[in-house]
Amino acid sequence: MATPTHKTATAAHIRNFCIIAHIDHGKSTLADRMLQGTGVMNERNAREQTLDNMDLERERGITIKASAVSVDHVWNGQTYELNFIDTPGHVDFHYEVSRALAACEGAVLVVDATQGVEAQTVANLYKAVDADLELIPVINKIDLPSAQPEERAQQVEDVLGLDAADCIMTSAKSGVGVKELLDAICDRFPAPQGDPEAPLQALIFDAVYDDYRGVVVYFRIINGRMKRGDRILMMGAKRTFQVTELGKFRPQMVKVDDPFEAGDVGYMVAAIKTLGDVNIGDTITLDTARCDEALEGYEEPVPMVYCDFYPSGDTQFDELRDAIARLHVNDASYNYEPTNSEALGSGFRCGFLGMLHMDIIQERLEREGRVSVVQTAPTVTYEIDCIGKGGEREMIQITNPAELPDPSKVKAIREPIVAAEIITPTGSIGDIMKLCDSRRGVYKNQKFLADDRQILEYDLPLAEIIYDFFDKLKSITSGYGTMDYHVTGFKQDELVKMDVLVNGDAVEALSLIVHRSKAEQRGRHLLKKLKEQIDRHLFEIPLQAALGGKIIARETIKSVGKNVTAKCYGGDVSRKRKLLEKQKKGKDRMKRIGTVDIPQGAFMAVLDSGE
Amino acid sequence: MPDHSAQAQSLYLHLPFCFHKCHYCDFYSVVDNPGPKPGTAATDAQTPRPAAATDRQPAFTRALVAELEAAHRAAPGPGLRPRTVFAGGGTPTFLRPGLWDQLLASLHQAGTLEHTTEFTVEANPETVTADLMQRLAHGGVNRVSIGAQSFQKASLDALERWHRPESVRSAVDACRAAGITNLSLDLIFAIPGQTLAMLDDDLDRLLELEPTHLSTYGLTYEPQTPLTARLRVGRVTKVDEDTERAMYARVLERLEAAGFEHYEVSNWARATPDRRYRCAHNLAYWTNANWLGLGPGAASHHHGHRWRNAPNLTRYLAHWDQSEPTGPPPTEDHERLAPEDRIGERLMLGLRLSDGIEHNWIQANVPAGHRRAAAIDELVAIGMLERTATHLRLTRRGLFVADTVVAKLL
Repeated sequence: MATPTHKTATAAHIRNFCIIAHIDHGKSTLADRMLQGTGVMNERNAREQTLDNMDLERERGITIKASAVSVDHVWNGQTYELNFIDTPGHVDFHYEVSRALAACEGAVLVVDATQGVEAQTVANLYKAVDADLELIPVINKIDLPSAQPEERAQQVEDVLGLDAADCIMTSAKSGVGVKELLDAICDRFPAPQGDPEAPLQALIFDAVYDDYRGVVVYFRIINGRMKRGDRILMMGAKRTFQVTELGKFRPQMVKVDDPFEAGDVGYMVAAIKTLGDVNIGDTITLDTARCDEALEGYEEPVPMVYCDFYPSGDTQFDELRDAIARLHVNDASYNYEPTNSEALGSGFRCGFLGMLHMDIIQERLEREGRVSVVQTAPTVTYEIDCIGKGGEREMIQITNPAELPDPSKVKAIREPIVAAEIITPTGSIGDIMKLCDSRRGVYKNQKFLADDRQILEYDLPLAEIIYDFFDKLKSITSGYGTMDYHVTGFKQDELVKMDVLVNGDAVEALSLIVHRSKAEQRGRHLLKKLKEQIDRHLFEIPLQAALGGKIIARETIKSVGKNVTAKCYGGDVSRKRKLLEKQKKGKDRMKRIGTVDIPQGAFMAVLDSGE
Repeated sequence: MPDHSAQAQSLYLHLPFCFHKCHYCDFYSVVDNPGPKPGTAATDAQTPRPAAATDRQPAFTRALVAELEAAHRAAPGPGLRPRTVFAGGGTPTFLRPGLWDQLLASLHQAGTLEHTTEFTVEANPETVTADLMQRLAHGGVNRVSIGAQSFQKASLDALERWHRPESVRSAVDACRAAGITNLSLDLIFAIPGQTLAMLDDDLDRLLELEPTHLSTYGLTYEPQTPLTARLRVGRVTKVDEDTERAMYARVLERLEAAGFEHYEVSNWARATPDRRYRCAHNLAYWTNANWLGLGPGAASHHHGHRWRNAPNLTRYLAHWDQSEPTGPPPTEDHERLAPEDRIGERLMLGLRLSDGIEHNWIQANVPAGHRRAAAIDELVAIGMLERTATHLRLTRRGLFVADTVVAKLL
């Protein structure tokens, strides 16, 4: 921890900006290079990709949580404070992106010189434009042999409507163009506006949990002033705290003694115990001199994808509960509540922003929480129009097929629909349209992007894209297709609940809601997959798929025919025991339902569409 | 070597020499002097003459005798007094008769065989001669286990087993002529290309020889054997599981009908009230008795402590074939199980026996409420285990899937 410092710039010399890029287009490397360019880091102390904090982020090469770094840069003989606000790069984290953008005046738009504009670049650009941000287009990776910087710059003009001549050519790898970019940020991005004398309005754009300080809140002051010792109010959460520390990330946390004013970006510590107490997008004001209105645009993040976690192997329910709660202190982006399944016992139903988000949480639970979990197949939220217990018509939301009321009470089932934008090579258009049609997509529009690229717009049921849609898209387009989507609403369709019976018992964790026209095909395929997943047992295991009481598909797992070691003499004992123990350990990691051991993979078999 | 010789109830001797390695075999063996494949080169098979330069048999015999003497010295009282002795390999009958004489003389000199009631030697039919059998019988060997494996040329070829089908009968005759009448024959089934009819023919030919004991093994593809390598590259095809099961069922049915008692997963003894043809040496393994193994690769067990001599003839000779052995002998794979794991091991071994395990032992070692007790109840409920008046044992159905059953009890 460095000693407290004073602020280096006033609003006129502050530039708040973010970088918008598609995954793999080099955002993190460019950010690192910019930090080095300002002398904050040198090659030696730079960990690769400083801004991606979590191991998981570094491993996956993506940014999951937003963060902010303040650096000084001298331009035209004057020192500027550049506040770089990082944004998550994945479709699941739209909301966090929009909050980060709201804290900025400018956005650097990175386009890969080899790959060109991608769906997410477009989607995030629209958000930046909506947030009235000034834009600097950057063509990165210009040193690669397959780079086409001039063509990409033209594409930026054609597709995004930015002047090709404004593009800055960089290679984050070699550092070419980085100084020009830093100069352009000081030159072209506007200084923050805002009235330091007005009542305090500060936007929370991120928060992290620190073992020593508790919650560290990332904020941007829009109006007013804040200093250490102030009693603050979170307007949405309606909670008050006392500010104990203010500072900036340079990139390590550095305390700042001076008050923060309109335009400043930094962090705050205020004895906040869990991330659940802080809402991204909330407005901070002074408890004693409140502003009239909160800043616009605050939304509770709405989980769209749900699944259950159950303890497996040696993990006990209590251990799982502790691990989930502990992780939640660190990452409040998911929600959870206890649930109970006849087959799987006690566990938690968790809501996520999307599939990647779900994968990340599961992995962090297992890695950081050291628990072993069985995860059920993810489902979306459904709206059920039904007759309630008292006979009155009511609308309920379910996140689990098992919660579906008796079919006789159900009037209609509505599912979430997304507006999807798919950028695809022109040659793959036909196959992508076929894919969308097979997923009950409704065609909306087709736009020209470049000679070899088109944008397809479809409305698709979310349930149809949470499993293998993205993989299919990638394989049809040889990896070149990209997609962005957001949920637009709910729509009624002919949806039914399909039950799966293992050895005669319905396994709720395997049931799913499907479109009636696809039920039989899905059922047959699901049972085939289950058959591959479940080992042969000492008895025959029938597998059935059923709608209501009607069996629509069946399979049988034959019992083990012969499995007996022929020779077991003196020298064979140890080896044989170890072999059998290995066999048994494999079983221990499975979930026992009745007398059948079901591996984790079986629960995910539900996801395979069989197309 | 741990000093456990005194309590050893059984003695195993590993004689590693072979004239050819069969492709399914993963026992430790060495081929110093390759013999001709019978029926290919010479018209009459003879014990191949060793070439002096690579002949390690005399040194090995000296070394084994030295290891035996050391074991005697380590044992308190009179020395090693095993009830059973088993010479396995390798091919024990490939050790030259003169060297066998030395080995047997050493055993007698030390009084090792004083309490021995069963002394078995494993034999490859091609290497059994009347002369050798007489010397063995004279030296106290009273049981011979002959690796017949099959009587079909095609099956023997598939196993790369170099003996002629007809030499099994001459081997049996040679043993009987020498006065060794307790004869066991080995049979392998589920050999690539084998049909049920071929198995039936093998069983007919086996039974014609009127052995007192039979071992029948479903072919196992052991790791790091040429056969498994061939399987991996698709040059042999496994008999499918249904056929293998049917073959095992056929073996059970035929041998029971022929008056044999099925007393272990793969072992049969001619039925007598005193059970005298059951292999006492192998029963020692399955009842977790203590035994001492000598020779390279030989395994030993003493009250839950398992180890083996390093399977390396060169190192074995370097240690034992010197006038004053120094340093510890090369041993490896030492294992001392926790009491809880020993119970699992005992269940694994004991359930291989058709008698099973005594209720008394189970009550003392598997308390009610223990996960093993629950597993036993479940296995009884689905018909894999059954309780007789005195024992818990595999049912006929459980026998076919004994490994799956036992894995639940470890």
